[in-house]
Amino acid sequence: MIEFSHVSASYDGELAVLRDVSFRIEDGSFVAFVGTNGAGKSTTMRLINGLLKPTEGQVLIDGTPTTELKTSELAQRVGFLFQNPDRQICNNTVREEMMFGFKALGKESPEAEVRADEIMAAFGLNPDDDPFLLNRGTRQLLALASIIVLQPPVVVLDEPTTGLDFRECTKVMEIIRRLHERGTTVVMVCHDMEVVADYAESIIVMSAGRVLAQGPTYELLRDRVLTQEASLVAPQMVALSLALGSQHPQLANTAVGQANTLSEMERALGLEIAEGGEPR
Amino acid sequence: MTGFLEYVPGNSLLHRMNPVAKLFCALLISVACFCTSNLIFLACVLIFDFALAAHCKMTRQAMGLAKAVTIFSLILAVIQLLTNSTGMVLVPLPWGYIGTGGVIGAVTIILRLVAAAVPLFLVMYVTKMTDLANSVVKVLHVPYKYAFTFTSTVHFIPVFMNDMAGIMEAQTARGVQFDQGSIVKKIRLMVPLCIPLLVSSVRKTNSAAIAAEVRGFNLRTRESGYKQYPFATLDVVSLVICVCILVVAILLGVLL
Ligand SMILES: Nc1ncnc2c1ncn2[C@@H]1O[C@H](COP(=O)(O)OP(=O)(O)OP(=O)(O)O)[C@@H](O)[C@H]1O
Ligand SMILES: [Mg+2]
Repeated sequence: MIEFSHVSASYDGELAVLRDVSFRIEDGSFVAFVGTNGAGKSTTMRLINGLLKPTEGQVLIDGTPTTELKTSELAQRVGFLFQNPDRQICNNTVREEMMFGFKALGKESPEAEVRADEIMAAFGLNPDDDPFLLNRGTRQLLALASIIVLQPPVVVLDEPTTGLDFRECTKVMEIIRRLHERGTTVVMVCHDMEVVADYAESIIVMSAGRVLAQGPTYELLRDRVLTQEASLVAPQMVALSLALGSQHPQLANTAVGQANTLSEMERALGLEIAEGGEPR
Repeated sequence: MTGFLEYVPGNSLLHRMNPVAKLFCALLISVACFCTSNLIFLACVLIFDFALAAHCKMTRQAMGLAKAVTIFSLILAVIQLLTNSTGMVLVPLPWGYIGTGGVIGAVTIILRLVAAAVPLFLVMYVTKMTDLANSVVKVLHVPYKYAFTFTSTVHFIPVFMNDMAGIMEAQTARGVQFDQGSIVKKIRLMVPLCIPLLVSSVRKTNSAAIAAEVRGFNLRTRESGYKQYPFATLDVVSLVICVCILVVAILLGVLL
Protein backbone atom coordinates (compact mmCIF):
# COMPACT_ATOMS: atom_id res chain seq x y z
CA MET A 1 0.00 0.00 0.00
CA ILE A 2 1.21 3.49 -0.83
CA GLU A 3 0.09 6.22 1.47
CA PHE A 4 0.78 9.96 1.33
CA SER A 5 -0.18 11.87 4.43
CA HIS A 6 -0.01 15.67 4.28
CA VAL A 7 3.04 15.58 2.02
CA SER A 8 4.76 18.75 0.92
CA ALA A 9 7.83 18.63 -1.27
CA SER A 10 10.22 20.97 -3.01
CA TYR A 11 13.31 20.68 -5.17
CA ASP A 12 15.30 23.60 -3.84
CA GLY A 13 14.05 23.67 -0.27
CA GLU A 14 12.21 26.95 -0.84
CA LEU A 15 9.40 26.78 -3.35
CA ALA A 16 6.89 24.05 -2.48
CA VAL A 17 6.05 22.03 -5.59
CA LEU A 18 3.58 19.81 -3.71
CA ARG A 19 1.43 21.16 -0.92
CA ASP A 20 -0.40 19.04 1.63
CA VAL A 21 -0.97 16.04 -0.61
CA SER A 22 -2.79 13.07 0.89
CA PHE A 23 -4.03 9.91 -0.80
CA ARG A 24 -3.88 6.17 -0.50
CA ILE A 25 -3.31 3.55 -3.16
CA GLU A 26 -4.37 0.04 -2.19
CA ASP A 27 -2.43 -3.06 -3.24
CA GLY A 28 -3.49 -4.42 -6.59
CA SER A 29 -5.14 -1.26 -7.87
CA PHE A 30 -4.57 0.52 -11.17
CA VAL A 31 -4.37 4.27 -10.57
CA ALA A 32 -3.69 7.03 -13.06
CA PHE A 33 -2.46 10.51 -12.16
CA VAL A 34 -3.81 13.20 -14.43
CA GLY A 35 -3.37 16.95 -14.53
CA THR A 36 -1.77 19.77 -16.48
CA ASN A 37 1.95 20.16 -17.20
CA GLY A 38 3.72 21.12 -14.02
CA ALA A 39 0.89 19.94 -11.77
CA GLY A 40 3.35 17.86 -9.77
CA LYS A 41 2.66 14.37 -11.11
CA SER A 42 6.27 13.44 -11.80
CA THR A 43 7.23 14.90 -8.46
CA THR A 44 4.69 12.63 -6.78
CA MET A 45 6.18 9.65 -8.63
CA ARG A 46 9.66 10.57 -7.43
CA LEU A 47 8.36 10.71 -3.89
CA ILE A 48 6.94 7.20 -4.25
CA ASN A 49 10.27 5.72 -5.18
CA GLY A 50 12.23 7.78 -2.71
CA LEU A 51 14.28 9.83 -5.18
CA LEU A 52 12.77 12.82 -3.47
CA LYS A 53 11.97 12.94 0.24
CA PRO A 54 9.05 14.97 1.56
CA THR A 55 9.81 18.23 3.36
CA GLU A 56 6.66 17.77 5.39
CA GLY A 57 4.39 14.82 6.06
CA GLN A 58 5.14 11.20 5.26
CA VAL A 59 5.22 8.88 2.29
CA LEU A 60 4.57 5.34 3.49
CA ILE A 61 5.31 2.28 1.40
CA ASP A 62 3.74 -0.76 3.08
CA GLY A 63 3.73 1.24 6.28
CA THR A 64 7.41 2.26 6.19
CA PRO A 65 8.29 5.92 5.60
CA THR A 66 10.52 6.39 2.56
CA THR A 67 12.83 8.49 4.68
CA GLU A 68 13.83 5.31 6.49
CA LEU A 69 14.59 3.41 3.29
CA LYS A 70 17.44 3.75 0.84
CA THR A 71 16.35 4.36 -2.73
CA SER A 72 18.22 1.27 -3.85
CA GLU A 73 16.27 -0.79 -1.31
CA LEU A 74 13.01 0.76 -2.40
CA ALA A 75 13.90 -0.26 -5.95
CA GLN A 76 13.03 -3.84 -5.04
CA ARG A 77 9.51 -2.87 -4.03
CA VAL A 78 8.78 -0.21 -6.61
CA GLY A 79 9.70 -0.56 -10.27
CA PHE A 80 9.98 2.80 -11.94
CA LEU A 81 9.69 3.66 -15.62
CA PHE A 82 10.97 7.16 -16.37
CA GLN A 83 9.51 9.56 -18.85
CA ASN A 84 12.67 9.24 -20.95
CA PRO A 85 13.88 5.66 -21.61
CA ASP A 86 17.28 6.94 -22.77
CA ARG A 87 18.18 7.82 -19.21
CA GLN A 88 17.62 4.28 -18.16
CA ILE A 89 19.15 2.25 -20.95
CA CYS A 90 22.89 1.86 -20.41
CA ASN A 91 23.97 -1.53 -21.72
CA ASN A 92 25.28 -2.73 -25.04
CA THR A 93 22.75 -5.45 -25.74
CA VAL A 94 19.11 -5.96 -24.98
CA ARG A 95 19.91 -9.04 -22.91
CA GLU A 96 22.43 -7.20 -20.71
CA GLU A 97 19.90 -4.44 -20.24
CA MET A 98 17.31 -6.97 -19.08
CA MET A 99 19.75 -8.50 -16.60
CA PHE A 100 21.06 -5.17 -15.35
CA GLY A 101 18.53 -4.82 -12.56
CA PHE A 102 19.33 -8.29 -11.20
CA LYS A 103 23.01 -7.44 -11.28
CA ALA A 104 22.46 -4.14 -9.47
CA LEU A 105 20.48 -5.91 -6.75
CA GLY A 106 22.94 -8.81 -6.58
CA LYS A 107 20.28 -11.30 -7.62
CA GLU A 108 21.63 -12.87 -10.77
CA SER A 109 20.49 -16.46 -11.14
CA PRO A 110 19.59 -19.02 -13.81
CA GLU A 111 15.90 -18.42 -13.01
CA ALA A 112 16.42 -14.73 -13.64
CA GLU A 113 17.92 -15.53 -17.06
CA VAL A 114 14.95 -17.74 -17.91
CA ARG A 115 12.52 -15.04 -16.88
CA ALA A 116 14.40 -12.45 -18.93
CA ASP A 117 14.25 -14.76 -21.96
CA GLU A 118 10.51 -15.26 -21.51
CA ILE A 119 9.81 -11.57 -21.26
CA MET A 120 12.02 -10.70 -24.23
CA ALA A 121 10.11 -13.27 -26.26
CA ALA A 122 6.74 -11.93 -25.06
CA PHE A 123 7.75 -8.35 -25.88
CA GLY A 124 9.23 -9.34 -29.23
CA LEU A 125 12.67 -8.07 -28.29
CA ASN A 126 15.79 -9.51 -29.87
CA PRO A 127 18.34 -10.26 -27.12
CA ASP A 128 21.35 -9.35 -29.27
CA ASP A 129 20.12 -5.99 -30.55
CA ASP A 130 21.90 -2.81 -29.62
CA PRO A 131 19.43 -0.82 -27.47
CA PHE A 132 20.67 2.52 -28.76
CA LEU A 133 19.79 1.64 -32.33
CA LEU A 134 16.20 0.61 -31.58
CA ASN A 135 13.33 2.94 -32.44
CA ARG A 136 11.58 5.03 -29.85
CA GLY A 137 8.72 2.60 -29.22
CA THR A 138 10.99 -0.40 -28.89
CA ARG A 139 13.30 1.43 -26.50
CA GLN A 140 10.28 2.25 -24.36
CA LEU A 141 9.26 -1.42 -24.45
CA LEU A 142 12.78 -2.46 -23.47
CA ALA A 143 12.84 -0.01 -20.56
CA LEU A 144 9.48 -1.37 -19.42
CA ALA A 145 10.57 -4.99 -19.88
CA SER A 146 13.74 -4.49 -17.85
CA ILE A 147 11.60 -3.20 -14.99
CA ILE A 148 8.92 -5.89 -15.21
CA VAL A 149 11.47 -8.70 -15.27
CA LEU A 150 12.35 -7.86 -11.66
CA GLN A 151 8.72 -8.57 -10.69
CA PRO A 152 8.26 -5.62 -8.33
CA PRO A 153 4.93 -5.61 -6.45
CA VAL A 154 4.39 -2.00 -7.53
CA VAL A 155 5.21 -0.41 -10.88
CA VAL A 156 5.25 3.34 -11.34
CA LEU A 157 5.05 4.53 -14.93
CA ASP A 158 5.68 8.16 -15.84
CA GLU A 159 3.95 8.78 -19.16
CA PRO A 160 4.58 5.29 -20.57
CA THR A 161 2.86 6.03 -23.88
CA THR A 162 3.96 9.56 -24.71
CA GLY A 163 5.57 9.71 -28.12
CA LEU A 164 4.38 6.26 -29.16
CA ASP A 165 2.12 5.63 -32.12
CA PHE A 166 -1.27 4.01 -31.59
CA ARG A 167 -0.03 0.46 -32.19
CA GLU A 168 2.97 0.77 -29.84
CA CYS A 169 0.81 2.52 -27.28
CA THR A 170 -1.73 -0.32 -27.30
CA LYS A 171 1.08 -2.86 -27.05
CA VAL A 172 2.56 -1.18 -23.99
CA MET A 173 -0.81 -0.68 -22.33
CA GLU A 174 -1.94 -4.27 -22.92
CA ILE A 175 1.26 -5.48 -21.25
CA ILE A 176 0.54 -3.19 -18.32
CA ARG A 177 -3.05 -4.45 -18.15
CA ARG A 178 -1.88 -8.06 -17.98
CA LEU A 179 0.63 -7.13 -15.31
CA HIS A 180 -2.18 -5.60 -13.29
CA GLU A 181 -4.39 -8.64 -13.77
CA ARG A 182 -1.64 -10.77 -12.24
CA GLY A 183 -1.76 -8.64 -9.09
CA THR A 184 0.80 -5.90 -9.62
CA THR A 185 -0.15 -2.47 -8.35
CA VAL A 186 0.09 -0.04 -11.25
CA VAL A 187 0.54 3.69 -10.77
CA MET A 188 0.69 5.65 -13.98
CA VAL A 189 0.95 9.23 -15.17
CA CYS A 190 -0.80 9.83 -18.46
CA HIS A 191 -1.99 12.81 -20.46
CA ASP A 192 -4.17 10.82 -22.84
CA MET A 193 -7.63 10.62 -21.27
CA GLU A 194 -8.73 7.97 -23.77
CA VAL A 195 -5.93 5.70 -22.54
CA VAL A 196 -6.66 6.57 -18.93
CA ALA A 197 -10.36 5.82 -19.38
CA ASP A 198 -9.63 2.52 -21.13
CA TYR A 199 -7.20 1.16 -18.58
CA ALA A 200 -7.22 2.85 -15.17
CA GLU A 201 -9.64 1.80 -12.44
CA SER A 202 -9.36 5.04 -10.58
CA ILE A 203 -7.71 8.38 -11.07
CA ILE A 204 -6.11 11.04 -8.93
CA VAL A 205 -6.53 14.53 -10.34
CA MET A 206 -3.76 17.00 -9.60
CA SER A 207 -3.50 20.70 -10.17
CA ALA A 208 -0.82 23.19 -9.08
CA GLY A 209 0.75 20.86 -6.53
CA ARG A 210 -2.49 19.70 -4.92
CA VAL A 211 -4.77 16.71 -5.23
CA LEU A 212 -8.17 17.89 -6.44
CA ALA A 213 -9.92 14.55 -6.35
CA GLN A 214 -9.46 10.82 -6.15
CA GLY A 215 -12.04 8.31 -7.27
CA PRO A 216 -13.30 5.86 -9.91
CA THR A 217 -12.16 6.92 -13.39
CA TYR A 218 -15.51 7.53 -15.08
CA GLU A 219 -17.13 9.08 -12.04
CA LEU A 220 -14.48 11.82 -12.00
CA LEU A 221 -14.29 12.21 -15.76
CA ARG A 222 -18.05 12.84 -15.82
CA ASP A 223 -17.68 15.60 -13.24
CA ARG A 224 -17.76 18.72 -15.39
CA VAL A 225 -16.73 21.12 -12.63
CA LEU A 226 -13.71 18.99 -11.87
CA THR A 227 -12.58 18.47 -15.45
CA GLN A 228 -12.91 22.19 -16.05
CA GLU A 229 -10.90 23.06 -12.98
CA ALA A 230 -8.11 20.62 -13.85
CA SER A 231 -8.22 21.44 -17.59
CA LEU A 232 -8.96 17.84 -18.50
CA VAL A 233 -10.66 16.80 -21.70
CA ALA A 234 -13.06 13.96 -21.02
CA PRO A 235 -12.95 11.01 -23.45
CA GLN A 236 -15.11 11.60 -26.50
CA MET A 237 -17.77 9.04 -25.59
CA VAL A 238 -18.14 10.51 -22.10
CA ALA A 239 -18.43 13.99 -23.62
CA LEU A 240 -21.06 12.75 -26.06
CA SER A 241 -23.22 11.04 -23.46
CA LEU A 242 -22.91 14.05 -21.15
CA ALA A 243 -23.95 16.34 -23.98
CA LEU A 244 -26.90 14.13 -24.88
CA GLY A 245 -27.91 14.02 -21.25
CA SER A 246 -27.77 17.78 -20.75
CA GLN A 247 -29.49 18.72 -24.01
CA HIS A 248 -32.17 16.06 -23.70
CA PRO A 249 -32.84 15.86 -19.94
CA GLN A 250 -35.07 12.83 -20.48
CA LEU A 251 -31.93 10.93 -21.59
CA ALA A 252 -29.74 11.98 -18.66
CA ASN A 253 -30.48 8.98 -16.50
CA THR A 254 -30.89 6.43 -19.26
CA ALA A 255 -28.26 4.07 -20.60
CA VAL A 256 -27.51 6.54 -23.40
CA GLY A 257 -26.87 9.42 -21.03
CA GLN A 258 -24.71 7.22 -18.82
CA ALA A 259 -22.71 5.42 -21.50
CA ASN A 260 -18.96 5.80 -20.99
CA THR A 261 -17.55 3.58 -23.69
CA LEU A 262 -18.30 2.75 -27.27
CA SER A 263 -19.63 -0.69 -26.37
CA GLU A 264 -21.92 0.74 -23.70
CA MET A 265 -23.27 3.27 -26.18
CA GLU A 266 -23.78 0.52 -28.78
CA ARG A 267 -25.71 -1.53 -26.28
CA ALA A 268 -27.78 1.48 -25.20
CA LEU A 269 -28.65 2.35 -28.78
CA GLY A 270 -29.08 -1.24 -29.90
CA LEU A 271 -26.69 -0.94 -32.82
CA GLU A 272 -23.25 -2.22 -33.66
CA ILE A 273 -20.59 0.10 -34.96
CA ALA A 274 -17.77 -1.44 -36.96
CA GLU A 275 -14.20 -0.26 -36.65
CA GLY A 276 -14.40 2.50 -39.24
CA GLY A 277 -17.28 4.12 -37.38
CA GLU A 278 -19.92 2.93 -39.90
CA PRO A 279 -23.03 1.13 -38.60
CA ARG A 280 -22.83 -2.53 -39.47
CA MET B 1 19.31 28.85 -7.10
CA THR B 2 20.96 29.73 -10.38
CA GLY B 3 22.93 27.16 -12.30
CA PHE B 4 26.64 26.84 -12.82
CA LEU B 5 28.05 29.82 -14.78
CA GLU B 6 24.53 30.98 -15.51
CA TYR B 7 23.99 34.69 -16.18
CA VAL B 8 22.83 36.63 -13.14
CA PRO B 9 20.88 39.72 -14.22
CA GLY B 10 21.82 43.06 -12.71
CA ASN B 11 22.85 46.62 -13.40
CA SER B 12 26.19 46.94 -11.64
CA LEU B 13 29.31 48.52 -13.12
CA LEU B 14 30.47 45.06 -14.17
CA HIS B 15 27.17 44.31 -15.85
CA ARG B 16 27.36 47.52 -17.85
CA MET B 17 30.93 47.09 -19.05
CA ASN B 18 31.76 46.05 -22.57
CA PRO B 19 32.00 42.23 -22.66
CA VAL B 20 35.37 42.29 -24.37
CA ALA B 21 36.74 44.79 -21.86
CA LYS B 22 35.45 42.61 -19.04
CA LEU B 23 37.12 39.56 -20.49
CA PHE B 24 40.41 41.39 -20.95
CA CYS B 25 40.34 42.85 -17.46
CA ALA B 26 39.75 39.42 -15.99
CA LEU B 27 42.56 37.96 -18.07
CA LEU B 28 44.93 40.77 -17.05
CA ILE B 29 44.18 40.20 -13.38
CA SER B 30 44.66 36.46 -13.77
CA VAL B 31 47.95 36.88 -15.58
CA ALA B 32 49.04 39.35 -12.91
CA CYS B 33 48.44 36.69 -10.26
CA PHE B 34 50.86 34.38 -12.03
CA CYS B 35 53.55 37.05 -12.44
CA THR B 36 54.38 37.39 -8.80
CA SER B 37 54.50 35.30 -5.66
CA ASN B 38 54.08 38.29 -3.41
CA LEU B 39 51.55 37.18 -0.80
CA ILE B 40 50.42 40.69 0.06
CA PHE B 41 49.79 41.47 -3.61
CA LEU B 42 47.80 38.24 -4.06
CA ALA B 43 45.78 38.96 -0.93
CA CYS B 44 45.03 42.45 -2.23
CA VAL B 45 43.85 41.05 -5.57
CA LEU B 46 41.65 38.57 -3.72
CA ILE B 47 40.10 41.36 -1.65
CA PHE B 48 39.60 43.35 -4.85
CA ASP B 49 37.88 40.31 -6.42
CA PHE B 50 35.48 40.00 -3.54
CA ALA B 51 34.82 43.72 -3.42
CA LEU B 52 33.77 43.49 -7.08
CA ALA B 53 31.64 40.42 -6.35
CA ALA B 54 29.97 42.19 -3.45
CA HIS B 55 29.36 45.19 -5.67
CA CYS B 56 27.38 43.09 -8.15
CA LYS B 57 25.68 41.17 -5.33
CA MET B 58 27.35 37.89 -6.17
CA THR B 59 29.24 37.21 -2.99
CA ARG B 60 27.49 33.86 -2.70
CA GLN B 61 28.58 32.71 -6.15
CA ALA B 62 32.10 34.06 -5.58
CA MET B 63 32.32 32.19 -2.28
CA GLY B 64 31.18 29.00 -3.94
CA LEU B 65 33.78 29.43 -6.67
CA ALA B 66 36.49 30.23 -4.17
CA LYS B 67 35.61 27.12 -2.22
CA ALA B 68 35.70 24.89 -5.31
CA VAL B 69 39.02 26.31 -6.49
CA THR B 70 40.47 25.99 -3.00
CA ILE B 71 39.57 22.32 -2.86
CA PHE B 72 41.14 21.79 -6.25
CA SER B 73 44.30 23.71 -5.38
CA LEU B 74 44.64 21.84 -2.06
CA ILE B 75 46.07 18.92 -4.02
CA LEU B 76 48.77 21.16 -5.49
CA ALA B 77 49.30 22.78 -2.12
CA VAL B 78 49.87 19.42 -0.43
CA ILE B 79 52.40 18.45 -3.10
CA GLN B 80 54.14 21.77 -2.55
CA LEU B 81 54.08 21.21 1.20
CA LEU B 82 55.64 17.76 0.96
CA THR B 83 58.25 18.47 -1.70
CA ASN B 84 59.37 22.03 -1.08
CA SER B 85 61.85 21.47 1.75
CA THR B 86 63.11 24.99 2.32
CA GLY B 87 63.12 27.44 5.18
CA MET B 88 62.81 26.46 8.82
CA VAL B 89 62.21 22.81 9.68
CA LEU B 90 58.64 22.29 10.94
CA VAL B 91 57.96 18.57 10.53
CA PRO B 92 60.70 16.10 9.56
CA LEU B 93 59.81 13.67 6.77
CA PRO B 94 61.68 10.52 5.59
CA TRP B 95 62.81 12.32 2.42
CA GLY B 96 63.24 15.82 3.78
CA TYR B 97 61.08 18.04 5.89
CA ILE B 98 58.05 20.30 5.82
CA GLY B 99 59.51 23.76 6.05
CA THR B 100 58.25 27.31 6.26
CA GLY B 101 59.12 27.61 2.55
CA GLY B 102 56.70 24.81 1.77
CA VAL B 103 53.95 26.37 3.87
CA ILE B 104 54.39 29.73 2.17
CA GLY B 105 54.46 27.99 -1.22
CA ALA B 106 51.25 26.14 -0.44
CA VAL B 107 49.44 29.27 0.73
CA THR B 108 50.68 31.12 -2.37
CA ILE B 109 49.29 28.46 -4.66
CA ILE B 110 45.86 28.54 -3.07
CA LEU B 111 45.72 32.34 -2.96
CA ARG B 112 46.97 32.65 -6.52
CA LEU B 113 44.54 30.16 -8.04
CA VAL B 114 41.56 31.60 -6.20
CA ALA B 115 42.53 35.19 -6.98
CA ALA B 116 43.08 34.31 -10.64
CA ALA B 117 39.98 32.15 -11.10
CA VAL B 118 37.34 34.28 -9.41
CA PRO B 119 37.42 37.22 -11.89
CA LEU B 120 37.33 34.89 -14.87
CA PHE B 121 34.26 33.12 -13.55
CA LEU B 122 32.65 36.33 -12.41
CA VAL B 123 32.73 37.53 -16.00
CA MET B 124 30.59 34.53 -16.94
CA TYR B 125 28.05 35.42 -14.29
CA VAL B 126 27.74 39.09 -15.28
CA THR B 127 27.79 38.63 -19.05
CA LYS B 128 25.21 37.03 -21.25
CA MET B 129 26.87 34.35 -23.32
CA THR B 130 25.41 35.76 -26.52
CA ASP B 131 26.79 39.21 -25.70
CA LEU B 132 30.20 37.77 -25.05
CA ALA B 133 30.19 35.82 -28.31
CA ASN B 134 28.79 38.68 -30.39
CA SER B 135 31.16 41.27 -28.98
CA VAL B 136 34.15 39.01 -29.51
CA VAL B 137 33.03 38.64 -33.12
CA LYS B 138 32.36 42.37 -33.56
CA VAL B 139 35.31 43.84 -31.70
CA LEU B 140 38.02 41.23 -32.06
CA HIS B 141 36.96 39.91 -35.48
CA VAL B 142 36.96 36.34 -34.24
CA PRO B 143 35.08 34.13 -36.74
CA TYR B 144 31.58 33.47 -35.44
CA LYS B 145 32.14 29.72 -35.74
CA TYR B 146 34.71 29.76 -32.94
CA ALA B 147 32.73 32.08 -30.73
CA PHE B 148 29.71 29.84 -31.19
CA THR B 149 31.72 26.72 -30.39
CA PHE B 150 32.80 28.31 -27.14
CA THR B 151 29.36 29.52 -26.11
CA SER B 152 27.67 26.26 -26.94
CA THR B 153 30.29 24.33 -24.97
CA VAL B 154 29.58 26.46 -21.92
CA HIS B 155 25.88 26.23 -22.60
CA PHE B 156 26.01 22.43 -22.70
CA ILE B 157 27.82 22.01 -19.38
CA PRO B 158 24.71 22.38 -17.20
CA VAL B 159 22.71 20.37 -19.72
CA PHE B 160 25.11 17.47 -19.40
CA MET B 161 25.28 17.81 -15.65
CA ASN B 162 21.50 17.64 -15.60
CA ASP B 163 21.58 14.59 -17.86
CA MET B 164 24.08 12.82 -15.65
CA ALA B 165 21.97 13.52 -12.58
CA GLY B 166 18.91 12.15 -14.40
CA ILE B 167 20.74 9.03 -15.51
CA MET B 168 22.05 8.40 -12.01
CA GLU B 169 18.52 8.80 -10.67
CA ALA B 170 17.16 6.34 -13.19
CA GLN B 171 19.81 3.81 -12.22
CA THR B 172 19.27 4.36 -8.50
CA ALA B 173 15.60 3.63 -9.07
CA ARG B 174 16.68 0.31 -10.57
CA GLY B 175 18.66 -0.58 -7.51
CA VAL B 176 22.16 0.65 -8.34
CA GLN B 177 23.54 1.66 -4.97
CA PHE B 178 24.69 5.20 -5.58
CA ASP B 179 23.32 6.13 -2.21
CA GLN B 180 25.67 3.97 -0.17
CA GLY B 181 29.26 2.78 -0.09
CA SER B 182 32.59 4.47 -0.62
CA ILE B 183 33.51 7.01 -3.27
CA VAL B 184 35.63 4.45 -5.12
CA LYS B 185 32.62 2.15 -5.34
CA LYS B 186 30.42 4.98 -6.54
CA ILE B 187 32.89 5.93 -9.25
CA ARG B 188 33.07 2.31 -10.38
CA LEU B 189 29.28 2.28 -10.62
CA MET B 190 29.31 5.51 -12.60
CA VAL B 191 31.60 4.28 -15.37
CA PRO B 192 28.93 2.27 -17.25
CA LEU B 193 26.64 5.31 -17.12
CA CYS B 194 29.02 7.24 -19.32
CA ILE B 195 27.57 5.27 -22.25
CA PRO B 196 24.05 6.74 -22.07
CA LEU B 197 25.56 10.14 -21.32
CA LEU B 198 27.81 9.88 -24.38
CA VAL B 199 24.96 8.69 -26.55
CA SER B 200 22.67 11.47 -25.42
CA SER B 201 25.36 14.14 -25.80
CA VAL B 202 26.32 13.03 -29.29
CA ARG B 203 22.64 12.98 -30.22
CA LYS B 204 22.11 16.44 -28.73
CA THR B 205 25.14 18.06 -30.34
CA ASN B 206 24.33 16.44 -33.65
CA SER B 207 20.77 17.70 -33.66
CA ALA B 208 21.90 21.13 -32.44
CA ALA B 209 24.37 21.28 -35.34
CA ILE B 210 21.72 20.32 -37.86
CA ALA B 211 19.26 22.80 -36.37
CA ALA B 212 21.87 25.57 -36.65
CA GLU B 213 22.76 24.58 -40.18
CA VAL B 214 19.21 24.59 -41.52
CA ARG B 215 18.72 28.04 -40.05
CA GLY B 216 21.59 29.41 -42.08
CA PHE B 217 24.44 29.17 -39.60
CA ASN B 218 27.04 29.33 -42.36
CA LEU B 219 25.67 32.61 -43.68
CA ARG B 220 26.40 34.39 -40.45
CA THR B 221 29.21 36.93 -40.58
CA ARG B 222 30.52 39.78 -38.46
CA GLU B 223 27.96 42.10 -40.04
CA SER B 224 25.01 39.86 -39.10
CA GLY B 225 24.61 41.14 -35.55
CA TYR B 226 22.88 44.51 -35.30
CA LYS B 227 24.02 45.23 -31.75
CA GLN B 228 27.20 47.33 -31.49
CA TYR B 229 29.65 46.98 -28.65
CA PRO B 230 31.47 50.32 -28.37
CA PHE B 231 34.05 50.98 -25.68
CA ALA B 232 32.96 53.56 -23.10
CA THR B 233 35.04 55.59 -20.66
CA LEU B 234 34.27 53.02 -17.99
CA ASP B 235 35.83 50.29 -20.12
CA VAL B 236 38.97 52.26 -20.89
CA VAL B 237 39.44 53.22 -17.25
CA SER B 238 38.96 49.63 -16.12
CA LEU B 239 41.44 48.36 -18.68
CA VAL B 240 43.99 50.95 -17.59
CA ILE B 241 43.54 49.96 -13.95
CA CYS B 242 43.99 46.29 -14.81
CA VAL B 243 47.09 47.01 -16.88
CA CYS B 244 48.45 48.89 -13.89
CA ILE B 245 47.76 45.89 -11.68
CA LEU B 246 49.67 43.72 -14.14
CA VAL B 247 52.59 46.15 -14.24
CA VAL B 248 52.74 46.21 -10.45
CA ALA B 249 52.73 42.40 -10.44
CA ILE B 250 55.57 42.23 -12.97
CA LEU B 251 57.59 44.82 -11.09
CA LEU B 252 57.06 42.93 -7.83
CA GLY B 253 58.07 39.70 -9.56
CA VAL B 254 61.22 41.22 -11.04
CA LEU B 255 62.28 43.32 -8.08
CA LEU B 256 61.60 40.86 -5.27
N1 LIG C 1 14.46 19.07 -10.95
C1 LIG C 1 13.66 20.11 -10.67
N2 LIG C 1 14.13 21.21 -10.04
C2 LIG C 1 13.33 22.25 -9.76
N3 LIG C 1 12.05 22.31 -10.06
C3 LIG C 1 11.50 21.27 -10.69
C4 LIG C 1 12.28 20.11 -11.05
N4 LIG C 1 11.46 19.23 -11.67
C5 LIG C 1 10.27 19.80 -11.71
N5 LIG C 1 10.26 21.02 -11.13
C6 LIG C 1 9.09 21.93 -10.98
O1 LIG C 1 8.12 21.27 -10.22
C7 LIG C 1 6.83 21.50 -10.72
C8 LIG C 1 6.11 20.20 -10.91
O2 LIG C 1 6.81 19.47 -11.88
P1 LIG C 1 6.45 17.98 -12.28
O3 LIG C 1 7.55 17.50 -13.14
O4 LIG C 1 6.12 17.20 -11.07
O5 LIG C 1 5.15 18.22 -13.14
P2 LIG C 1 4.32 17.16 -13.99
O6 LIG C 1 2.94 17.17 -13.44
O7 LIG C 1 5.03 15.87 -14.05
O8 LIG C 1 4.33 17.85 -15.41
P3 LIG C 1 4.45 17.18 -16.87
O9 LIG C 1 3.09 16.82 -17.27
O10 LIG C 1 4.99 18.31 -17.69
O11 LIG C 1 5.39 16.03 -16.80
C9 LIG C 1 7.00 22.30 -11.98
O12 LIG C 1 6.64 23.64 -11.70
C10 LIG C 1 8.46 22.20 -12.32
O13 LIG C 1 8.92 23.40 -12.88
MG1 LIG D 1 6.10 14.76 -15.60
